[in-house]
Amino acid sequence: MTDLLSSIEGSTLAAWVRESPSIWAYATILTLHTVGLAIVVGANVVVDLRLLGWAKGIPTESLRALFPIMWSGFAINFASGVLLFMADATTKSGQRVFYVKLACLTLALLAARTISKRLRQPDGEAVPGDLRALAAVSLLLWAGAIVAGRLMAYL
Amino acid sequence: MPDLIPFAQWLRATPASEWINSSTWVWPLCESLHFMGLSLLIGITGFFDVRLMGFFRRVSVEAARALMPFALVGFAINIATGLVFLTGLPEQYVSNRVWWFKVGFIVLAGLNAGFYETRLSANVLAPDPHGETPRAAKLVGFVSLVSWFAVLYCGRMLAFIGDAF
Repeated sequence: MTDLLSSIEGSTLAAWVRESPSIWAYATILTLHTVGLAIVVGANVVVDLRLLGWAKGIPTESLRALFPIMWSGFAINFASGVLLFMADATTKSGQRVFYVKLACLTLALLAARTISKRLRQPDGEAVPGDLRALAAVSLLLWAGAIVAGRLMAYL
Repeated sequence: MPDLIPFAQWLRATPASEWINSSTWVWPLCESLHFMGLSLLIGITGFFDVRLMGFFRRVSVEAARALMPFALVGFAINIATGLVFLTGLPEQYVSNRVWWFKVGFIVLAGLNAGFYETRLSANVLAPDPHGETPRAAKLVGFVSLVSWFAVLYCGRMLAFIGDAF
């Protein structure tokens, strides 16, 4: 495993991300990761706040239109995240907080997928209790992913 | 650009700045909050901007605007945490031209929102809440979306462009 991670880190692509003085290397990839974060978490925040009972004028099934935007934001973050990991694979794979981030992220994406499926069935006036709870959990998981991601630079 | 270096040096010598720099947790905590704030701000403002641009017409303009108080909460969080960063390392920010671009885009986004609220909102709401939005509203939505992403871009890039960090 260590050999694999070292060879990933030693690859030409990883070295370019890590060492190139070009603005298009590390700086742009890191910035894209933040742009993606704003799209993914931003879209989820809109959905979750509506499900928690704010902005009742927004029809809940209309929120489904936000999911393609959310998934395209996630695609940006998956691609940029893989590159950032490659650049520093041996260090990042040894960080416990990295796995906390991955766990929060995976659970938050599962929550988003469940919410998007549930929104296909038009419900009545009130949002069911379990869907509200899922929205609250989703917000906490995204907050957790942000904190864990930020702490990777410190721990 | 006024010479803010003397002010920055004064600010750096204050006890508040000392405290921010000597603490191990203030900076990462404020960064985490800054990222949560930007998610609230860009998510909610972006949703409204896209509606103003004429998408998501199943949602009325008024309903799309209803989450805006949360965007203001996000903005308040980011001003507060941003002031912590500025107090911690004042010289690095005021002498960085990308940081000034960031401030410029925040001002542009603010003026754009002010223009919408004072001059445009009444026309957009009437007569059909699910209808096509006027061209001016589309432009306001577009300017807002571009400005906030430019704020994010400058904020992230200021550590890499220019010579301050």
